[in-house]
Amino acid sequence: MNIQIKKSGIGVKGKKGTQSYFWYSVKQNKFAYFMILPAIISMLIIHFLPMIQGIYISFINLNMANMRKFLKAPFIGLKNYYDLFFGGLNSGFGDALINTFIYTVSVTFFTLALGICLAMLLNREFKLQGIARTVLLMPWVIPSYVVGIVWEKLWRKEGLINAVLSWLHIIGPDKADWPFWLVGPLTLVAIIIPTIWRGLPMSMILMLAGLQSVSPDYYEAAEIDGANGWQKFWSITLPLLKPILSINIMFSLINNIYSYNIVSMMFGNGAGQPGKWGDLLMTNIQRNSFQLWQFGQGAAALVICMLFMLVIVGFWYLIFKDDLVVK
Amino acid sequence: MRVGYFESIKRKKRMVGLLGNIILSIFALISLAPIVYMVCASLMRHEQIATSQLGIPNRFHNYIEVWENLPLASYFGNSLVVCSVVTIVALVIATLSGYALAKYKFPGSGIIGIIVLATQMLPGMMFLLPLYMNFVNIQNTTGFKMTETLHGLIFIYSAFYVPFSIWIIRGFFASIPGELEEAARIDGCNKFSAFYRVMLPLAVPGIIATAVYIFLMAWDELLFAWVLGVQTVPVGIRNFIGFTQARYDLLLTAGTVVTLPVLVAFFSLQKYFISGMTAGAVKG
Repeated sequence: MNIQIKKSGIGVKGKKGTQSYFWYSVKQNKFAYFMILPAIISMLIIHFLPMIQGIYISFINLNMANMRKFLKAPFIGLKNYYDLFFGGLNSGFGDALINTFIYTVSVTFFTLALGICLAMLLNREFKLQGIARTVLLMPWVIPSYVVGIVWEKLWRKEGLINAVLSWLHIIGPDKADWPFWLVGPLTLVAIIIPTIWRGLPMSMILMLAGLQSVSPDYYEAAEIDGANGWQKFWSITLPLLKPILSINIMFSLINNIYSYNIVSMMFGNGAGQPGKWGDLLMTNIQRNSFQLWQFGQGAAALVICMLFMLVIVGFWYLIFKDDLVVK
Repeated sequence: MRVGYFESIKRKKRMVGLLGNIILSIFALISLAPIVYMVCASLMRHEQIATSQLGIPNRFHNYIEVWENLPLASYFGNSLVVCSVVTIVALVIATLSGYALAKYKFPGSGIIGIIVLATQMLPGMMFLLPLYMNFVNIQNTTGFKMTETLHGLIFIYSAFYVPFSIWIIRGFFASIPGELEEAARIDGCNKFSAFYRVMLPLAVPGIIATAVYIFLMAWDELLFAWVLGVQTVPVGIRNFIGFTQARYDLLLTAGTVVTLPVLVAFFSLQKYFISGMTAGAVKG
């Protein structure tokens, strides 16, 4: 006899048996299906169908000229992908890819590292604790499009940052020698720092929530065993923070790879494009698709983004697999 | 000897604490400086900002001028309509499915949970590009205007924020003990009234946190509104950059004006802000 105990009763294993069990539990959960129906429909319309269309668009020659044909535009195979890297005169996709890589890695690293530091500093007993937390949270409240405006003014050649640097004697007093932050390779720094500035509160508050859930008993035990601060951090704090850290890393990667607002606002209409050193994937794709009307190339770039993301998520899952099961 | 030992530990602790406070103050300064700069610069002349010869912030005329030059009221109106409707629609959809996913295990529930998360991994542009083409197509074939309209943007946003909201709300429902629902069922509630009368009131703090989260996300969204050409606050400000190349003061004034409502909301709803921020990640 091949009897298997299921959660809500005993079913006989075998093709017919499991099938009837399947339909039985579907019928039992009519209510749940009814509840998720609106979400399923909305996700089908806004997420699933457009994604399929988008993948198809990446294989057709869809641009301004034959926009009216939409999906009936001529099929050109992988030409869009080829043009992205080698053919396009004004695509700049390769630069954007490299910039996004540097941008994402550095922003993610610094927001997490500084976030842990600040969370540990906030997780002590001291006066003005509440005020310190509120003040450190403030950048998160500023809308990201305002962040772009403000920092663009700060980074200007005669702007406040250069003035402060010169006051601190890091750069010379002569205004003619002050660096251009928004032109050339320094652009990357000029877009990374505001992003860290705005992302830090989020990671800090997540880490703080994680730290507060760590029982102080661990630290007491470690102190009795004679561990110093550094050892306590490496062998207690970090391992216990790992589940939150893993999700924080994922959030940060997603947010930064698809970052758009800050760069777009820093290099708004007037200043034109971010240029070779400040272009990110999303600004690049937005420009190619909706200003140069190369929808096919835009879709191809998006498909490449998707594949990259798939690889990243795969790696992330392999690294943090054990921390995700606990929940 | 022992006393000295403890003294030195105490002193070391105090030194570490002092160092920590100094680092915190530096970061607090960095956090505040750009915000203070924006507010002060909004009260100065263009030349003062452009050359960093910062003076006394006393030019309140900027605030009158920005309202004259920029249709801020209509931008605020548009953003408010879009964000409120989107928050309500997305919240209703997400609450229903978040509850179902948290409290019921049914064939497909695992896969749906994964799909909900997977949608967050994809670029928003991936959906935007074909949707834009579809909207243009609908416009051309039926004459029903979708781009440059509030309903078009509301339609996209409401569905777009559903998956992440489901994820947050599911965490909140999962933290409510299932026995309460069972007790309600035994007392004669059907499944829906057990949800509506017992579970829903218990999840209200989580739902408010999610609402705040959706509202803020929608308030901060530039890309979709920009591409669809809907004049929300971010799009209005972005257009304004082009017109104000020689007027930094006006631009920063506009920035201050649009930040103010969010700041006020933050200070009055701080508790919900923070639980909304942490909910998705901590309870995941």
